[in-house]
Amino acid sequence: MAETRRTPGWLPVAAVAAVLAVAALTGLFRNPGPALRMAAHLVPPIATFADLPRAALWSLLRLTGAYVASLIFSWIVAYRAATRPAEARIILPLLDVGQSVPVLGFFPAAIYVFVGVLGGGRWALELAAMFLIFTSMTWNIAFGIYEGLSTIPAETRAAVQSLGVRGVLLWRALLLPACVPSLVYNSILSWTNGWYFLIASEIIAAGPVQYDLPGLGSVLSLAFARGDLRLAAAALITLIGVVLAIELVVWRPLRAWSRRFGYDTQPAGTREETLRLPDFGLPTLLRPMRTAARALAARLPIAETNRAWSSATRTWATVWRFGRWPVRIGLGLWGALALFGMVRVLLPPWPREAASLPLALLLSFLRINVAYVLALAWIVPVALWASDHPRGARALSTVAQVGASIPATAFFPVLVALLVDRYGGMEMISVALALTGMQWYLLFNLLAGVQRVPNDLRESLRSLGLGRREIHRQLVIPACMPSLVTGSVVAWGGTWNALILSEFVTYHGRVYQVTGLGALLNRATFQTGNRTLLFLSLALLVITVVTFNRVVWDRLYRYVNHRYVLEG
Amino acid sequence: MLELQHVSLAFSDRARPVTVLEDITLAIPDRQFLCIVGPSGCGKSMLLRLMMGLIAPTSGEVLNDGRPLAGVNLHAAMVFQSFALLPWLTVQANVELGLRARELSEEDARRRSAFYLDKVGLDGYEEAYPAELSGGMKQRAGLARALAVEPDVLFMDEPFAGLDPLTSANLREEVLTLWSDQDLPVRTVVMVTHIIEEAVLMADRVVVLASRPGRVAADLRIPLERPRNKRDEGFDVLVDSIFERIV
Repeated sequence: MAETRRTPGWLPVAAVAAVLAVAALTGLFRNPGPALRMAAHLVPPIATFADLPRAALWSLLRLTGAYVASLIFSWIVAYRAATRPAEARIILPLLDVGQSVPVLGFFPAAIYVFVGVLGGGRWALELAAMFLIFTSMTWNIAFGIYEGLSTIPAETRAAVQSLGVRGVLLWRALLLPACVPSLVYNSILSWTNGWYFLIASEIIAAGPVQYDLPGLGSVLSLAFARGDLRLAAAALITLIGVVLAIELVVWRPLRAWSRRFGYDTQPAGTREETLRLPDFGLPTLLRPMRTAARALAARLPIAETNRAWSSATRTWATVWRFGRWPVRIGLGLWGALALFGMVRVLLPPWPREAASLPLALLLSFLRINVAYVLALAWIVPVALWASDHPRGARALSTVAQVGASIPATAFFPVLVALLVDRYGGMEMISVALALTGMQWYLLFNLLAGVQRVPNDLRESLRSLGLGRREIHRQLVIPACMPSLVTGSVVAWGGTWNALILSEFVTYHGRVYQVTGLGALLNRATFQTGNRTLLFLSLALLVITVVTFNRVVWDRLYRYVNHRYVLEG
Repeated sequence: MLELQHVSLAFSDRARPVTVLEDITLAIPDRQFLCIVGPSGCGKSMLLRLMMGLIAPTSGEVLNDGRPLAGVNLHAAMVFQSFALLPWLTVQANVELGLRARELSEEDARRRSAFYLDKVGLDGYEEAYPAELSGGMKQRAGLARALAVEPDVLFMDEPFAGLDPLTSANLREEVLTLWSDQDLPVRTVVMVTHIIEEAVLMADRVVVLASRPGRVAADLRIPLERPRNKRDEGFDVLVDSIFERIV
């Protein structure tokens, strides 16, 4: 495309190198142990009802901050990937790995790094939490923007170019609008994800770490830990209220608005519509805002902005021509140092606990699969029932959508309060939390699959005299396979996060844990402060998930999409 | 006057060079209606994009009024098979897009878009979105958008291929009317088509491209009187002779 803007080529590399280097350098020069202990004195105050609005506000602020950061990062990355095929070959696989890695595993490490670098203050914690939420949001958004940019039809792009449209006008007329539908859709997913990790990080901060990270998650967790059920219920209701309110007031209207940016020319009525909730009075509120934005945009001096922009990029190119070598050498040195730090941390002798890593991995793996099988055990019959009752299917997908938008982590303290010391205790909690995390997503995907089964195929089988069961076996189940596998990949990978939270719990001043990778990660950060163990378990976690995705899910996905996709 | 001098275009497909167009030399004088025909995959559309300045030739030069093209040819405009309207802009905003790129004042842009929308018969549809228009109306909007920048040359890439026969017949007539309209600055039209009848019906001159690699196989004048009709004497002979040159 004609856009010849040059952003420095080292930017993505530098970002990765910086993260690595910071992680490893923390351990080289500074022992975060004392800082971690220092920060532990920031004991959260006892929460009361009056704290709820403040807590809700803090949670929202954290989430919004992380969302804005993800937007900026995703734009840069996705734009480069969409405009430079050579970089896309590197960026897209990186995004894919980022998306499939259980980011909650990095929260202990992030606390470790941020506290190690910035000291044990509130800011370090806030940044660690926002970083965690950022890493749960950004991949999805980047894929959305990439999809939007790369699916602009070639003729549309050529048409806009042939009119001489460049610079700011090109962004306003083509690039931004083209991204709106997939950006909004993926933002909703990311936002939901963000809630999950926000609550998780607040619970971890209030639990094992005992930091002061005011938010709904910490109020919830503290209230349950003290046995204050009224406050806990109030916090839970506030949380659900806030989540649903944002869904209704922000995302739903945005989603409706974004539809007009599709290339799809078919009328809106024929599209599959899973549910319709009232769109509250937001359009009336939006109209004056839009008028204001238009007026502002009309006054925007496009020509001057373009000229300023191109002169700035020219200046930057000159500076870069002279400055790139010192910068590159510096980065290289830093990278070497970081690598050295990593190697030193990972080199034997390993702590004795490292011997339990394989067993921990196996047990965590089993827990996830038990949860997965349990989820399938109730979801498949329900989806099959829904396939015979279209109205029921629509109602169910509303339930699944609402269920999925409420962060499952919020029910974690409830589970702990109910189950700890009872009925298999921690094992039950781990599996139950994994189940609550994955079931909505699976259900949602499977229902979508069921609803896509063409009615004429079903009728043709019925006219051949097949019974309901036969139709399920011959048609519905095979037709749902692609949706089932798609849902499974995401649910299965995401559930590793639940284990980080649920294998190591502080409740009533006592630590409850089971043998598992999540427990090891938490222990390495908060109890023993053992870097080697932390890095080892993280590496093992990432390798396991990525390998399993490659070896099992990817193949299954390809096979199923090859074998079971309905034509037309 | 638009000139191509020994223009070649090649892509590398997995390190293997593929020649799309080879050594094309062509001069298109003002006030000519030129049609480029050829089998699919012969690089007709690429040739058009080269003259529009959307892509640069691998070797050779494209000259507009004697000056070599550097980037998009701002004295030209293009109409596309898929209409290529931006679905999120109203018809009027679509037409004004090129004018805003040329930094016209809002008032001038409005006046000019109104004029051209009227010319193509779309007055009253200014506030409509492309999705609300029929195919023929969309292409009218595409035509208005191209004409509004007041180009010397109008490029059309199979502009009627996405339309039903009746609509395309109507629109063909209208394009010819617009081309002969003295009010409009368009002097030259270059149209790509794979329908030979369409070329004989509309063009002063037909260039036949051969494929793999694309090169000029024939360059013919169409001497028929205007307005033309498919039943005109000599029409079939011309169509047949062009058809023979393609196969």
